[in-house]
Amino acid sequence: MKIRTILTLVMIAIVLAVISLWIGQQAYSWLPPQASAEAQLIDRLFSFLVTLGSFIFLGVAGALTYSIVFQQAGKYDFSDGPHVEGNVPLEIVWTVIPFVLVIWIAGYSYQIYEQMAILGPMEHTHQTTAIAQRASTATGATDMQEQQSTTAIEVYARQWAWEFRYPEQNVTSTELHLPSHQRIKLSLHSEDVLHGFFVPAFRVKQDVIPGRVIDFSFTPIREGQYRLRDSQYSGTYFAAMQADVVVESPDAYQQWLTVSATHPPIAASNQAFDEYHRGQNPLNTGWKTVEPAPPPVVNAPSGQARNL
Amino acid sequence: MNPTEADASPNPPMVTSHTPAIPSVAEHGHDDAGNRMFGFIVFLLSESVIFLSFFTGYIVYKTTTPDWLPSGVSGLAMRDPAINTIVLVSSSLVIYIAERFLHAKNLWGFRAFWLLTMAMGSYFLYGQAVEWRSLPFGFTAGVFGGSFYLLTGFHGLHVLTGVLLQSLMLGRSFIPGNYNKGEFGVAATSLFWHFVDVIWVILFVLIYVWQ
Amino acid sequence: MTNLSVEVSSQIEQPLPGAPDNWKRFFGFSTDHKVIGIQYLVTSFFFFLIGGIFAMIIRGELITPEADLLDRTVYNAMFTMHGTVMLFLWTFPSLVGLSNYLVPLMIGAKDMAFPRLNAVAFWLVPLFGTILMASFFVPGGPSQSGWWAYPPVSLQNPTGNLINGQMLWLLAVAISGVSSIMGAVNFVTTIVRMRAPGMTWFRMPVFVWTVLAAQIIQLFGLPALTAGAVMLLLDLTIGTSFFDPAKGGDPVLFQHFFWFYSHPAVYVIILPIFGVFSEVFPVYARKPLFGYKVVAVSSLIITGLSSIVWVHHMFASGTPGWMRMAFMATTMLISVPTGIKVFAWVATIWGGKLRLNTPMLFALGGLFMFVFAGITGIMLAAVPIDIHVNNTYFVVGHFHYVIYGATVMGLYAAFYHWFPKMTGRMYSEGLGKLHFYLTLIGTNLNFFPMHPLGLQGMPRRVASYDPEFAFWNVIASLGAFLLGMSTLPFILNMIGSWVQGEKAPKNPWRAIGLEWLVSSPPTVENFEALPIVIAPPYGYGKSDPLVANPEALEVIHEPN
Ligand code: HEA
Ligand code: HEA
Ligand code: CUA
Ligand SMILES: [Cu+2]
Repeated sequence: MKIRTILTLVMIAIVLAVISLWIGQQAYSWLPPQASAEAQLIDRLFSFLVTLGSFIFLGVAGALTYSIVFQQAGKYDFSDGPHVEGNVPLEIVWTVIPFVLVIWIAGYSYQIYEQMAILGPMEHTHQTTAIAQRASTATGATDMQEQQSTTAIEVYARQWAWEFRYPEQNVTSTELHLPSHQRIKLSLHSEDVLHGFFVPAFRVKQDVIPGRVIDFSFTPIREGQYRLRDSQYSGTYFAAMQADVVVESPDAYQQWLTVSATHPPIAASNQAFDEYHRGQNPLNTGWKTVEPAPPPVVNAPSGQARNL
Repeated sequence: MNPTEADASPNPPMVTSHTPAIPSVAEHGHDDAGNRMFGFIVFLLSESVIFLSFFTGYIVYKTTTPDWLPSGVSGLAMRDPAINTIVLVSSSLVIYIAERFLHAKNLWGFRAFWLLTMAMGSYFLYGQAVEWRSLPFGFTAGVFGGSFYLLTGFHGLHVLTGVLLQSLMLGRSFIPGNYNKGEFGVAATSLFWHFVDVIWVILFVLIYVWQ
Repeated sequence: MTNLSVEVSSQIEQPLPGAPDNWKRFFGFSTDHKVIGIQYLVTSFFFFLIGGIFAMIIRGELITPEADLLDRTVYNAMFTMHGTVMLFLWTFPSLVGLSNYLVPLMIGAKDMAFPRLNAVAFWLVPLFGTILMASFFVPGGPSQSGWWAYPPVSLQNPTGNLINGQMLWLLAVAISGVSSIMGAVNFVTTIVRMRAPGMTWFRMPVFVWTVLAAQIIQLFGLPALTAGAVMLLLDLTIGTSFFDPAKGGDPVLFQHFFWFYSHPAVYVIILPIFGVFSEVFPVYARKPLFGYKVVAVSSLIITGLSSIVWVHHMFASGTPGWMRMAFMATTMLISVPTGIKVFAWVATIWGGKLRLNTPMLFALGGLFMFVFAGITGIMLAAVPIDIHVNNTYFVVGHFHYVIYGATVMGLYAAFYHWFPKMTGRMYSEGLGKLHFYLTLIGTNLNFFPMHPLGLQGMPRRVASYDPEFAFWNVIASLGAFLLGMSTLPFILNMIGSWVQGEKAPKNPWRAIGLEWLVSSPPTVENFEALPIVIAPPYGYGKSDPLVANPEALEVIHEPN
């Protein structure tokens, strides 16, 4: 290859790299707020993949666009292009480069995964503190000495309601309250079909499988109210199976627990149940559906927290 | 760039056009029996994946289910199924002998051994039915009951198919000159029978030996 | 090839009166692979419109956050039937149809190895299509468990009837499997054993390689799905407990059975499209396919890899960590053989003499969108990211880009490219280009917004959603309606041109390939004498003949 070609290629690569890096930085803004320690890690990986992906896409698309714009045949030009059947060195290069990229991407993803130490359902190990510590240093919070509750919050999924139980305090709720900056442990239960525990702001997701108890954990780091969505299709009212997640300071969390424990249990409102029993539904087809479970009877039905 | 890169395969006789030295057209176009045998083997390979899937499922269930056997069931009796196994496996040899006879154009020898194979296959089915009737659990008795009947039943259907194919071939042997053109049907039926046998051996090991 | 351009003008009149121009043969039991190919294509396109109408209804519901257009049961039935129809009644059969039409012609055979089996396999398609549609009329409506039919939802049978939507769904899928296996046995036998003299493996067009690779997947994948479907059917009808956790069954095992086939199935879909790209680019860039042998062989590598990646659909399903990591690695590896192909196409186009007519436009558009979709695929393969976007619209965006962006665009490229060959008529270039631009804009408007939606956390399969997602959903819905409209110029073009288009010569594109050496449309048995192949495919820029006996391929009939 001539020096000039090489220089041109290098120039193009640099320009593409700069553009891709910029796009990669934008990627953070495409995601919900980073409300958990995991979110920070995942977003970094995502930004990296967007950068690399942009580079590959722009490279391929750029070459194609150049051809399309500059290499069209004239209207009456019926000649053929050069008879080029291949180029072995080039083919080796473009086999090896993706291969190396794959190893890089997979290696980096693996690293991030290790750091997340997601408690997969099959591995009931307890690598809890490392990430919480890292999270606290990352956000400058130092008061991690808060008593870390060792018992898991129990999450019950059924068609179509979420119910949360805090076994130590004997509190039940349809709103998931979590203390900030602590490694949260959940145990996920399903009473009928597959459901999915998904809080976009935490970037965590886990299917809930009937007949199994699944341990799950993560570390919220940002106070606020988020949305818990069912992520595994579970039948007719699947879309309505959502709940609020409230991340608050450990003090506020303790207070909520104490106050809630004093409330007598009442039936929470439940969208699936309401819709099913709304009598004459104008859209009804008469297709028979699984009947929703009765609304959970809990100390702290959702929406109450803010009215306290 | 190497524009001279040529096809790797040798092609000497065809460089000049219109040479009559064409590689035999028949081999490429009209070998129907050959095509059918090839297609049948491809089909059997694919069919074996169904069994493979069932076997995998069985292994998963067996190794992960806490209450594997239905209550009141202590295991499966070995004796009768073992006899059944011996009958079925040896029928593979018998069908092979039948095929040799046909090859040697000895139609009556063929029919005799072919019929014997059918008898052995039918005996197997009979034995299976007797066993099923004596079992204290049914199809819906947990994953064990389900997988037991699924595996043996699906295999039994194959044995039944084999016997039906065999009777078809037996019938055809009475059409004068039927096997002069080739023995695809017989060869395929026989291959199918060996296949059904091999599957049974694996199945027997999985269900009866590994308890 | 310069000597080919002469033939453009010399046109052969229809030989064998009564055969290829007799339209009635399309409505009966024909064993001619070309007739069957077109029967497949037309039938599957009909179902594409049906699946498309379901999609329009879905997008109509999603244009507002509330579930206000449809009952939730209807919405759930809509996406289930949309996915099922699009995959089992549109992409699979249309690709089988295309392969049916082209493979025997391309390898120089007079027909498929088993013509009657071929016809039976086709007629099963309308049969199971009818069964599937019939499920709208049973009590409780059609299946509402998504195209994955995951238990236990798929085992819940609120009507209590034996004949219910889910049961008919399983029946239809099972018949579809039987039909596909028949087809696969036929294709593999045909390609391995029916090649014309001199048509060595490395003289086969890449399309034939990709069909072989795809059909091998059907052979090893479909039986696993069948096994799972049989067990699910038994659970549903006679009460066994394979997948029912309430009775000790294991619902996750079904997911393994399902994805062991249904992941490779996406390569059954895309591989022939890779073949189409490999045929179309050289013709309109006037250059040989770059690195032909590697491109051909990489198809089989994809086949191999496709069988060991299925768990990437189950990263959030209760999958242990080691499995997640292992399947992440295998999944990402697929980008290597795929990258080889992509780069080879770019190099084929590079420095060529491009002619941007409709097939080339569709192929180029498809390639752009495939690369985009492949990159989002790699993101999905990265476990930490998939944990976030799994079962969100990000996934829906990914696969519609591969399936609509690449596959449907690639199919359109093929339809236009081979339309003159199949019908003997030229299509209208103007309508073709209109169709292309509408499709391009519609596809991106429709499916791009799904990516930000997914990243923001909008789950898929929801009839209602939080108002924060409204903006992108409106755009997606408008794009979808545009995309729906885009099919109208296509339909108009195909019907209009077939009826009264200009007569097509043998080889309107000056393309190299056996199918272009015979008249348009070819006669019943394709070749009077089998072609004797003496050159590799894609000889653009050289003037070597492809066969030794071009004149013997057809008997010239006097026009009567
Ligand atoms: C034709 C269909 C098709 C094709 C070809 C693909 C191709 C790929 N798909 Fe996709 N996919 C689907 C159809 C398809 N997919 C469908 C239908 C679903 C969802 C089903 C459902 O849930 O209902 C799905 C879902 C899906 C998931 C599951 C997501 C989830 O549910 O959480 C994943 C995860 O790994 C994935 C990954 C990939 C990858 C890695 C590829 C790769 O093959 C892509 C390879 C291509 C490239 C990478 C681009 C070209 C390469 C280069 C330019 C080289 C350089 C590149 C690099 C080094 C990165 N796909
Ligand atoms: C080949 C496969 C294929 C194709 C082509 C398409 C095409 C389209 N798909 Fe999709 N889709 C799937 C396969 C496919 N899809 C699958 C597998 C799923 C998952 C299902 C599941 O979750 O189980 C899915 C799910 C899916 C969803 C998610 C639903 C949900 O999760 O809730 C959405 C939502 O927007 C959608 C939209 C569309 C749209 C707008 C089109 C458009 O491209 C359609 C364009 C429309 C037409 C081409 C027809 C237009 C017709 C007319 C305008 C009428 C004219 C009529 C006459 C002339 C008679 N699809
Ligand atoms: Cu509730 Cu899925
Ligand atoms: Cu996949």
